[in-house]
Amino acid sequence: MAANGHSGGGDRPMDTVSGRFSPEAVAELEEIVSHYPDRRGAMLPALWIAQREYGGSLPAEAIKEVAERLGCPPVEVEGVASFYTMYNLGRRGRRHLEVCTCLTCAVLGAADTLRALEEKLGIKVGQTTPDGEFSLAEVECLNWCEAGTVVQVGGRYFGNVTPDKVDALVEQIRQIQDTEAVTQADQIVKVQLARRHDGTADG
Amino acid sequence: MGELRVLFEHRDVPGIERMDVYESVGGYQGLARAVTMSRADVIGEVKTSGLRGRGGAGFPTWIKWSGIPADQPTERYVVCNADEGEPGTFKDRELMLRLPHMVVEGLAIAGYATNSSTGYIYIRGEFLESARAVRRAIDEAYARGYLGESVCGSGHRFDLHVHMGAGSYECGEETALMSSLMGERGQPRAKPPHAPLPVISGLWQRPTLINNVETYATVPHILARGGAWYASMGTERSKGTKLFSVSGHVAKPGNYEIELGTPLEELIALAGGVVGGDLKAVIPGGSSVPILTAEQCRGVKLDYESCMAAGTMLGSGGFMAFNDRTDIVKLMHVTARFYAHESCGKCTPCREGTRWMYRIFQRITAGQGRPEDVDLLLSICNNIDGRSYCPLGDAASWPIRASIQRFREEYDYWIEHGRSPVGDDSVPGIG
Repeated sequence: MAANGHSGGGDRPMDTVSGRFSPEAVAELEEIVSHYPDRRGAMLPALWIAQREYGGSLPAEAIKEVAERLGCPPVEVEGVASFYTMYNLGRRGRRHLEVCTCLTCAVLGAADTLRALEEKLGIKVGQTTPDGEFSLAEVECLNWCEAGTVVQVGGRYFGNVTPDKVDALVEQIRQIQDTEAVTQADQIVKVQLARRHDGTADG
Repeated sequence: MGELRVLFEHRDVPGIERMDVYESVGGYQGLARAVTMSRADVIGEVKTSGLRGRGGAGFPTWIKWSGIPADQPTERYVVCNADEGEPGTFKDRELMLRLPHMVVEGLAIAGYATNSSTGYIYIRGEFLESARAVRRAIDEAYARGYLGESVCGSGHRFDLHVHMGAGSYECGEETALMSSLMGERGQPRAKPPHAPLPVISGLWQRPTLINNVETYATVPHILARGGAWYASMGTERSKGTKLFSVSGHVAKPGNYEIELGTPLEELIALAGGVVGGDLKAVIPGGSSVPILTAEQCRGVKLDYESCMAAGTMLGSGGFMAFNDRTDIVKLMHVTARFYAHESCGKCTPCREGTRWMYRIFQRITAGQGRPEDVDLLLSICNNIDGRSYCPLGDAASWPIRASIQRFREEYDYWIEHGRSPVGDDSVPGIG
């Protein structure tokens, strides 16, 4: 592993990197790298690409691949990835429900909604259902306070969720066929690319 | 005074997020006019307008703009802070979703005025829907020549990139945002007098202009209709209009644009009035600003100076109203938890102090409060306030301190009786 110190300006030839990035992902990364004066600038986008390419999470190999592609030590990549809550370093369900329990949602009864979701899914906050389909988390302000209580699943926001709407919400989420974390990461990558790369531009 | 729509004038026009509709209501005319002016004159127009930063601090916008050394042979950057995370605030989310071209136009004007050729819009990772709208707007703006190698045929180059965050309240602080944009952990950097301002040394040690989404979205109107016109609205020192995100115990929560200086009670009336009881307290500018009692709210006007005089701040415009069924100690328990969770860990007073405060709230609302706890909270507030690199520590201490000063009897009741003074059904899940 080459470590270029802290300059972040590594310039390794890409064809020597082994990992799971598809050729398309490598091309996306290189376009995004061109938006910054050094490769290190593309760290957050590179981690989003990796989260997609590695099926919705960032195992050690993903960290290593990002480090190699950006030319910086894996420990720095891990340090960055672990700082941000949206990078998934642990195990989550295919559908990860995040319930806002911050100020406005709290006074509007977010905790009751959360309890109802725990009951419906048969898991506690921080747990994943045995089939790996659902996981549940409590999060801070999602900044859609006019629609409290707010629940986020991947890139989707659900507003005005009350305990009596929990059954319908879970059924609606169950219909989502893709792996939410992968779809979300993919969409986050796509909005950072100019239109010619974005087949979903009108979606 | 009252509701006055400048940014929101065309918010409800179908398709306003698309180029053709935005242009049909006068969109990009501010940019078109700007590029016919000298850079100094564009900044002069912003100065005349009296516009102040809408992200929370209220710093005069033109001073930042004129601080960029536009003639030095170096790269310069323009950054839009779209990392909206202040609890109670949801105006930037809607601005980007409904009026993305207004934000893009403002950024293009800023790029021209500061002679910068690269811009970044740092969007909160969770705001995918808003980010998609901004992406489309940028692509449309390139196609129409409002971005790219010659903005409006002026010969000035301006490229605009979307940079997505990944979950961190701290990144809304401008120096932490820069760290994050450069691919690092989102932690703040030293500021004057210990380090130069971002306008001198920001991203990659180059001059960097950072403003909030709403600030940039206001600029096209100032350029299109003149700084003097904008300055004719508002008060002596708080010019123009401001977006307020109203939530909590009101009938019609949502974003409202009002003239600065509008009475606080009028904003509550616009949002349909208080529901579920009488008004008990207001947090007028996001979770970081001091809470006001209902009595303190009487006669207060919503502008920077009046809010300060009333013992709070205008902040980001995240306006939360609470009825008299609300337990203030539980509310502050939630606030303390938020800051303990979001402290980035860099500065000891904030990292440790926010967690101590959260633990004290946990025991108070568990009925285990100790007689000395209230004074202990005040002491911790005093030891955090002003003792960290960025304002997160200050923001964690101000609301707690104000709540003790203004609702002390509720803390005393909790500690003496071990239960809520207003009833167990307030703020479910706490206590």
